[in-house]
Amino acid sequence: MPANSVIRHVVTFGRVLREAGLEVGPGRVADALRGLDAVELDRQDDVYWTLRQTLVSRRGDVEAFDRAFQAWFLDAAVQPPAATKPPQTRGERRKGAPPGPGPELDGSETSLGTWSEEELLRTKDFASMTPEEFARAKRLIQAIAVTRPLRRTRRLRRNSKGHALDVRGLVRASLATGGDPVERAFRSRKEAPRKLVLILDVSGSMEAYARALLLYLHAARGSGRGVETFAFATRLTRLTPELGARNPETAFEAAAGRVQDWSGGTRIGASLKAYNDEWGRRALTCGAVVVILSDGCERGDAELAGREMERLARQAFAVVWVNPLKGHAEYEPLAAGMRAALPHVDRFLSGHDVVSLESLGSVLGGIERRHAA
Amino acid sequence: MPFASIDDLESALAGASYLPDRGLSTALYLSLKLEKPLLLEGEAGVGKTEAAKAIAQALGARLIRLQCYEGLDVAHAVYEWNYARQLLHIRAAQEGTVDESELFGPEFLIRRPLLEAVEAEEPVVLLIDEIDRADEEFEAFLLEVLSDFQITIPELGTIEAKQRPYVILTSNRTRELHDALKRRCLFHWIGHPSLEREIEIVKLRVPGVPERLAAEAAAFVAELRMLDLQKPPGLAETIDWAHALTALGQQELDVENVETTLGSVLKYHEDLLSVRDETLAGLVASARAR
Repeated sequence: MPANSVIRHVVTFGRVLREAGLEVGPGRVADALRGLDAVELDRQDDVYWTLRQTLVSRRGDVEAFDRAFQAWFLDAAVQPPAATKPPQTRGERRKGAPPGPGPELDGSETSLGTWSEEELLRTKDFASMTPEEFARAKRLIQAIAVTRPLRRTRRLRRNSKGHALDVRGLVRASLATGGDPVERAFRSRKEAPRKLVLILDVSGSMEAYARALLLYLHAARGSGRGVETFAFATRLTRLTPELGARNPETAFEAAAGRVQDWSGGTRIGASLKAYNDEWGRRALTCGAVVVILSDGCERGDAELAGREMERLARQAFAVVWVNPLKGHAEYEPLAAGMRAALPHVDRFLSGHDVVSLESLGSVLGGIERRHAA
Repeated sequence: MPFASIDDLESALAGASYLPDRGLSTALYLSLKLEKPLLLEGEAGVGKTEAAKAIAQALGARLIRLQCYEGLDVAHAVYEWNYARQLLHIRAAQEGTVDESELFGPEFLIRRPLLEAVEAEEPVVLLIDEIDRADEEFEAFLLEVLSDFQITIPELGTIEAKQRPYVILTSNRTRELHDALKRRCLFHWIGHPSLEREIEIVKLRVPGVPERLAAEAAAFVAELRMLDLQKPPGLAETIDWAHALTALGQQELDVENVETTLGSVLKYHEDLLSVRDETLAGLVASARAR
């Protein structure tokens, strides 16, 4: 066992790391102590590596560890991590949206909507909803069952209607009949949901839709494993951990806190590039259905957007683009980013009301590779 | 524990033609000392798999490798029954004389890497390669194996490891691994080596490489990593490239031989297109200037 002073040092250091957001359990601290016992304490780099390898378990935590190590063992001033901005988008802030015509508004009833009201709400553009209507639409969005496209796994399950022989079962059954396979057992491939990647545009031009679509992302995230969610305006933010919270409000707050450029300008090309570089390279896109929810109004380089879409489409199983503006009868894909992206999109859909989000589910459920747009 | 210190382990690895940086040798040393599996993460081609091979050689242990992939199941990772032999056995025997326990005995078992590692009498290094590619169900199963090193086969009972295999897991981080699995392991992130070390490694791994060529190739690749590429080249690419250039009898880099061999460094068409003409000439010039 290391000396008492070392033990105290490491235990306190573990606490510092926990405050910095790392998961440092007592097991890890014990490992660190055993590790320090095994190396030369006067070699600073060995001490550094020993602590890092025992106390850190993911690449993303290395930076925080380095800061803490610097501060704790090398006596440098602690640099505070970048302060997270408080969430900006609350229901009350939807001033920009035009008030709805709303015959269903009179009487300001708080009871649950009747069937016809609900029907109206389902086809009402998110942008023209009043805060009250939106509050009710929220429940509808959350209730959308996100259908996931399926892929066939390699694993076989016993299935009397299957086509692959279940040889283990067959051998067992053949015992009774002297090696003659009288009763045949079969297996078939199981199906599992495909990976699903959702990338949401939260820039200023999407403000009227971002809240509703983020709720949809939350519902999708809750549909099971293999769902990754991202948001971008000028830069890409991964939201998968934040949207994992069961309560949509908590998830929403956490997500809004993470996204630093909420309602900022749009740089679709640069954000897709960041996605491709960071996540596509790590094969997240391979075999996945990628859904991009954006109006395609690119402030940056439209050519870059086209190039990155091509890269994305080459890796993905299928690419779906959801554009809320497409819900308007007179919409034409004129925005530069949208025009550049369209040749690489398998399905082009609208996403401006509850019904269109519901139909997105059925499209995803039946999607096949390389559909014409 | 055959190594007295980290330095000791480093020189043993160098004997196996592997030059780790201090971080990696500390990680390997600690995981041997604390008897914990080691999880190595890093970009493709930084030498994760090589590290496992080298430590096996340095330990004089047998390397057992389990390559993971989507859909990997027990039949391919642990064991499978040899059905053809079982059926033949029933046929060959007198009717009614074969019973089930005989049929599902050890001689009809096909051993896959995990079972092999657990059953091994001699010291083994178990390399579980690209664990991030396996399904999450498999990860959970692996967790069980790694915690008590025993495998249960319904027909045979539980097989316990005679000695703990030394386990190295690698991941390309295509997804985040489960926390429970990480908690069991020491974690080390392997980055690209420093220029000096990369030159050393190239000289060690490419027999007959001219000194000048090794230095220039490593410097050129280091420059490439600064560019905005879809797939920055790893150490494995530098070694391949130095091999290619040496095989072609080159003594140093020039625009022409770089152009003809660049395909062994850059594996994407777009990357090849972006490193051309002036860019390429500039990179060659600055690599030679070092």
